[in-house]
Amino acid sequence: MPDRYVEVVEPEDNVATALRELESGETITVAVGDGERTVEIPEDVQFGHKIAIEDIAAGETITKYGKSIGNATEDIPAGTWVHIHNVESNYGRGDLAGDTETAAVSE
Amino acid sequence: MSEFLGYEREDGSIGIRNNVAIISTAPYANDTVKRAADIIENAVPITHPLGRCQTKPDVFQTYRTLLGYGTHPNVYGTVVVAHAGEIVDGDELAEDVAETGRPSESVNIHRQKGVMNGLKATVNAAKDIVQDASNQNRVSADMSKLTFGINCATSDTTSGLCQHKATAGAVWRLIDEHGGRGCFAETPEFFGGENELADRAINDEVRQEILDRVENWNQRLQATGYDVRGAQPTPDNMDGGLTTIEEKSLGALVKSGDGPIQDIIDYGAKIPDASGMYIMDTPGHGAESVTGIGASGAHFMVISTGQGHTLSNALMPTIKITGNPHSAERVPEQTDVDVSEALVGDKTFDWATDQLWDEITDVINGKLTMSEAMGESQFAIHRIGPST
Repeated sequence: MPDRYVEVVEPEDNVATALRELESGETITVAVGDGERTVEIPEDVQFGHKIAIEDIAAGETITKYGKSIGNATEDIPAGTWVHIHNVESNYGRGDLAGDTETAAVSE
Repeated sequence: MSEFLGYEREDGSIGIRNNVAIISTAPYANDTVKRAADIIENAVPITHPLGRCQTKPDVFQTYRTLLGYGTHPNVYGTVVVAHAGEIVDGDELAEDVAETGRPSESVNIHRQKGVMNGLKATVNAAKDIVQDASNQNRVSADMSKLTFGINCATSDTTSGLCQHKATAGAVWRLIDEHGGRGCFAETPEFFGGENELADRAINDEVRQEILDRVENWNQRLQATGYDVRGAQPTPDNMDGGLTTIEEKSLGALVKSGDGPIQDIIDYGAKIPDASGMYIMDTPGHGAESVTGIGASGAHFMVISTGQGHTLSNALMPTIKITGNPHSAERVPEQTDVDVSEALVGDKTFDWATDQLWDEITDVINGKLTMSEAMGESQFAIHRIGPST
């Protein structure tokens, strides 16, 4: 039986959202479209946070709602917590805009 | 078509509240406005840091927003308070309010020869209008007159999975079954979903306008030279599990459903009369987007929140819905409708929509929202350029 508290929105997604707290060492089966997938959880994951449901290589697209929500900044093994420490955005990236002069501001 | 009990206005609009607004045109009239509103029962103070030494795009935007509040369907009458001669002109604003048939008075602190006389003039004008307003009764009105505002607030990963579905269900019920209007906003929160959103436009012109405005925001944010993460998503979004602005956006767009988009309008502009869904081009900053939607004449707003939020508005009642069971428990006074049973229990999203719809029908007929009962409201006009 897939865990109803770990939700994959679209079948092409490579992450799932935890709707309960996940504990290190758990084995979880998630529903993915008509099928299902089983992953081991290597670290605790808070309510509302995401896990990878397959191995994701550095640079690969993170897919949720069937669309890109950014790119992996490091290899993310299946079951691992997916968040700001291992994913970056492709929008509003003034830090990457080459021809932009950074405003003189104090940090 | 269904009916509700509202307040008729001479300009043909119907209010769900019968407020009297006391509006400041510049920072230097704010204290007079706040003091007058402290004295007068049921007067709503509208204060802000703008209206002086602004460039024209901001002058137009500030004026349009203040006029939107002075002529809001939920407003019976208005007192405008100016400090002196300002580029956002108090007399002109009061005259434009009066053209809608609302009682309207203009007070100028310099002309009154000082703050004490200015306060006295403001209080005298407001008390007469408040007394007249109290004499008006609710009458039967058609729900097709209503505009439903929508905003997110402290979104988390539950937002797009649960409460936004109920919000979308309710706004499309007003549009499809009752002939009303809906309005959502927060253009930077379309990042990552802009193509699918633009494809919902009723024609190519509106489709391109949506894409252009999204790209304009991306360019403005890139021009800062910094990564926008931290501002979008915010730290509380990230605490709630949202990782990037794209993830926040794809969730945020769920609250707009999937029906056709009639138009994308300027910040603070009036929503056209034709039934359907509209977008207002605003930042994702909640106080600013909600203030803009309020100026459009939206009668009420559903704030679809993840972690809970105090976000609310002075003249447009805000109904807060969450699907996060922890938020509903943690911040009960920021939760009007808890639909978390649809996310982690056995209820359906149709049930969630019905829960929200029942609350909306109560609120349009006069029930105070949680934030109205708590006396909470914010007002923040989005600014475009520099002060001068």
